[in-house]
Amino acid sequence: MAKKTYDLLFKLLLIGDSGVGKTCVLFRFSDDAFNTTFISTIEIDFKIKTVELQGKKIKLQIWDTAGQERFHTITTSYYRGAMGIMLVYDITNGKSFENISKWLRNIDQHANEDVERMLLRNKCDMDHKRVVPKGKGEQIAREHRIRFFETSAKANINIEKAFLTLPEDILRKTPVKEPNSENVDISSGGGVTGWKSKCC
Amino acid sequence: MERVKMAEESLETAAEHERILREIESTDTACIGPTLRSVYDGEEHGRFMEKLETRIRNHDREIEKMCNFHYQGFVDSITELLKVRGEAQKLKNQVTDTNRKLQHEGKELVIAMEELKQCRLQQRNISATVDKLMLCLPVLEMYSKLRDQMKTKRHYPALKTLEHLEHTYLPQVSHYRFCKVMVDNIPKLREEIKDVSMSDLKDFLESIRKHSDKIGETAMKQAQQQRNLDNIVLQQPRLGSKRKSKKDVYTIFDTEVESTSPKSEQDSGILDVEDEEDDEEVPGAQDLVDFSPVYRCLHIYSVLGARETFENYYRKQRRKQARLVLQPPSNMHETLDGYRKYFNQIVGFFVVEDHILHTTQGLVNRAYIDELWEMALSKTIAALRTHSSYCSDPNLVLDLKNLIVLFADTLQVYGFPVNQLFDMLLEIRDQYSETLLKKWAGVFRNILDSDNYSPIPVTSEETYKKVVGQFPFQDTELEKQPFPKKFPFSEFVPKVYNQIKEFIYACLKFSEDLHLSSTEVDDMIRKSTNLLLTRTLSNSLQNVIKRKNIGLTELVQIIINTTHLEKSCKYLEEFITNITNVLPETVHTTKLYGTTTFKDARHAAEEEIYTNLNQKIDQFLQLADYDWMTGELDNKASDYLVDLIAFLRSTFAVFTHLPGKVAQTACMSACKHLATSLMQLLLEAEVRQLTLGALQQFNLDVRECEQFARSGPVPGFQEDTLQLAFIDLRQLLDLFIQWDWSTYLADYGQPNCKYLRVNPVTALTLLEKMKDTSRKNNMFAQFRKNERDKQKLIDTVAKQLRGLISSHHS
Repeated sequence: MAKKTYDLLFKLLLIGDSGVGKTCVLFRFSDDAFNTTFISTIEIDFKIKTVELQGKKIKLQIWDTAGQERFHTITTSYYRGAMGIMLVYDITNGKSFENISKWLRNIDQHANEDVERMLLRNKCDMDHKRVVPKGKGEQIAREHRIRFFETSAKANINIEKAFLTLPEDILRKTPVKEPNSENVDISSGGGVTGWKSKCC
Repeated sequence: MERVKMAEESLETAAEHERILREIESTDTACIGPTLRSVYDGEEHGRFMEKLETRIRNHDREIEKMCNFHYQGFVDSITELLKVRGEAQKLKNQVTDTNRKLQHEGKELVIAMEELKQCRLQQRNISATVDKLMLCLPVLEMYSKLRDQMKTKRHYPALKTLEHLEHTYLPQVSHYRFCKVMVDNIPKLREEIKDVSMSDLKDFLESIRKHSDKIGETAMKQAQQQRNLDNIVLQQPRLGSKRKSKKDVYTIFDTEVESTSPKSEQDSGILDVEDEEDDEEVPGAQDLVDFSPVYRCLHIYSVLGARETFENYYRKQRRKQARLVLQPPSNMHETLDGYRKYFNQIVGFFVVEDHILHTTQGLVNRAYIDELWEMALSKTIAALRTHSSYCSDPNLVLDLKNLIVLFADTLQVYGFPVNQLFDMLLEIRDQYSETLLKKWAGVFRNILDSDNYSPIPVTSEETYKKVVGQFPFQDTELEKQPFPKKFPFSEFVPKVYNQIKEFIYACLKFSEDLHLSSTEVDDMIRKSTNLLLTRTLSNSLQNVIKRKNIGLTELVQIIINTTHLEKSCKYLEEFITNITNVLPETVHTTKLYGTTTFKDARHAAEEEIYTNLNQKIDQFLQLADYDWMTGELDNKASDYLVDLIAFLRSTFAVFTHLPGKVAQTACMSACKHLATSLMQLLLEAEVRQLTLGALQQFNLDVRECEQFARSGPVPGFQEDTLQLAFIDLRQLLDLFIQWDWSTYLADYGQPNCKYLRVNPVTALTLLEKMKDTSRKNNMFAQFRKNERDKQKLIDTVAKQLRGLISSHHS
């Protein structure tokens, strides 16, 4: 019996306009690093980090996407496999907030029906330059029944919390396995499609 | 005969007696003695007496005759005389009476005469006293003058007075007591003069020590003024040369846009203040210090016969002061002012010595000064070596170099050899180069850290020309494109290029005033620039390339950027040639190695891309979740592998601007790495058993890889070149899934073998895993003939494989 180093694999996706801080958010979580220089992401990239939730080792594969329009064709091919999607906008950039609606529509079109979603209001350390009132962010989150966090990759605010909350929500929807079962293939289990989960 | 003899004697004697008698009659009484002695010496004195008596009687007879002749006259005279006697008596009485009256009247006169006599005596005494005093007064005056001179600190005149007093005046009156006191005091006074003079000298030494700084500052300013005048004279030719050089620089860029002068051409602000002060008239060193004390003291000691003592003392003290002056402050290296003060002190010291050399006779000589200067030079150079090594600011090093040049020029004017200082400046130049390299390391790091690693977008002709003006890039195709458009390189390319030129200017600036030839300057600049390129810039690029979390975006852009920087190296060569005015035909001992640096950086970036991709592949493989004991067959490849392939596909789709060769190599590297990793996954020891079903599932994954390879993710590959990466896996899996052992064993070693790439050791390892599987189900196998048959077959094949292995390895 081959042994795995993890119990569950959760695939997460980061989407949002170019320059809102998707890559910075990811780097802060995976490597606790921050780069002040803006370098536009044009390739698909991912980080893998293992966390422990409710006694289970969960491997998070977090995909970072290009926010520029010209790369959307490539980006949308990754929606299908995602279990959780983080929508990111920049509180100092009104346009990035307005486009959240568009990103939500993309999710509806390309992602699994039961994908877990979360809204990140990034760059909250620059409150003096805020152009998107908190109330507005909260309103759209409420309307679409999704969680939201105010984050700062630079100041490391709420990053860890956001990246642990989303898997918890996903885990809550994962079917509970009976302790005595062995070699049970639950891929045909009710409600969850598109991914497998096995245990030793 | 006896008669004749007696006659002769008698005549002779008679003559003698005659002579004697004439002598008696004519000679004074005093001389008669010797005459009479001569008479008694002879034996004829009786006869002499007879002659004498005879002559006496003759004389008496003549007297009587005479008296008889004048008798009547005599009587008349006697009568006359008796009358006179009476008259005389009368006269006597009158005289006596007159005398008595006179005596009575003259008594007062006698008293007055006594008084007069007394007064005359006094007057004589007074006159003698005055004469004595007249002799003493000059001595007293001189002594008084001496005292005054001592009191008013005029010691040299006092010494002259003292000498005069001792040797001219005092000997004349040496018998007086007060003069003895003076004589006793003279040595003390002399010592006092000596001591006071020495005290003055000490004050003088203290004064020049205190003012050394100011004196040196003044001398340095004078040298600076002189240099400014020289520069004014040379202004015209230099300006012409500069203009020409600048024109050549423009030619390099082939642009009409004027570029601003590099900042490094301007002097730092520290020296500007100095320039302003130079406009004022500065007083000479002689105006700052009163040298008269040393002259007076020298004279005094010379007169006192202690000149050698004075010279020794002066030199000894000045040597001590020299050592103090040459002791640099511990924090001298922190500011330019620290160095300036140090140099001012040294210059001031030697200006004073030079002045004294030329204004005194032998107090200091050339040998003494040269000895001092030699010590000073070695100590100064040692101090400068120590302190300059602490400098980390290239501007400070540059200002220090200018200050040292001024220091050397100043002392050269006074005749001191300064070649060693210029030699040391070449060492400081190396220090300066190191400091520059450190500074530019920071500059490059900032440029690379702040770059966005995206092609530079330009929206107008103006901005296009601005970029082309900064970096020598020529592309007719790009030039024809409409706006907006993009340069292929990112912003760090023109920035790095310009900073390299700034570095070259900074190196050039240090060489000014060092009396180096153009060729020397050119070689030095090339050496420094090579260090900048091969070490500093290379390290900066490598650090970025090796940085954690560097993305493919950055790596790809670095490859493109370094390609363009490499092409610009020839323009840097021209740039150096133009600013050093070394003819292009000159054979350079030093060439620029920039192309090597950029090639190396590019290769490192390429390697990093391959490594980066392979690491991503490894991360995917860690997600692999094979059930090696499965009996069921899925209809599609594993999820992790599908994601992996999608990742690779999208990555190569995005980086279409990656150079073709690099893209091909990256793709091939990824495929090979993936194939190798999958093989290892299959063969690893932890997988002890596996089923045919598991192999079939694994086969689906390999087919997915092959599909990717066939799809041509990167243009430029030959038809099946990329697919060859998976050929080993393909043949191994075909062998096992089709159970084609008879063919394998029969054809092994043949060139055209269908399973040429299957290693028998590998095959055996995998077969063993399948055998274990069968044994585990041994109980059930007993009830199925085909299972028993399969077991036998596995054993047979294993046996044959072992034989094959041993026979071909022995």
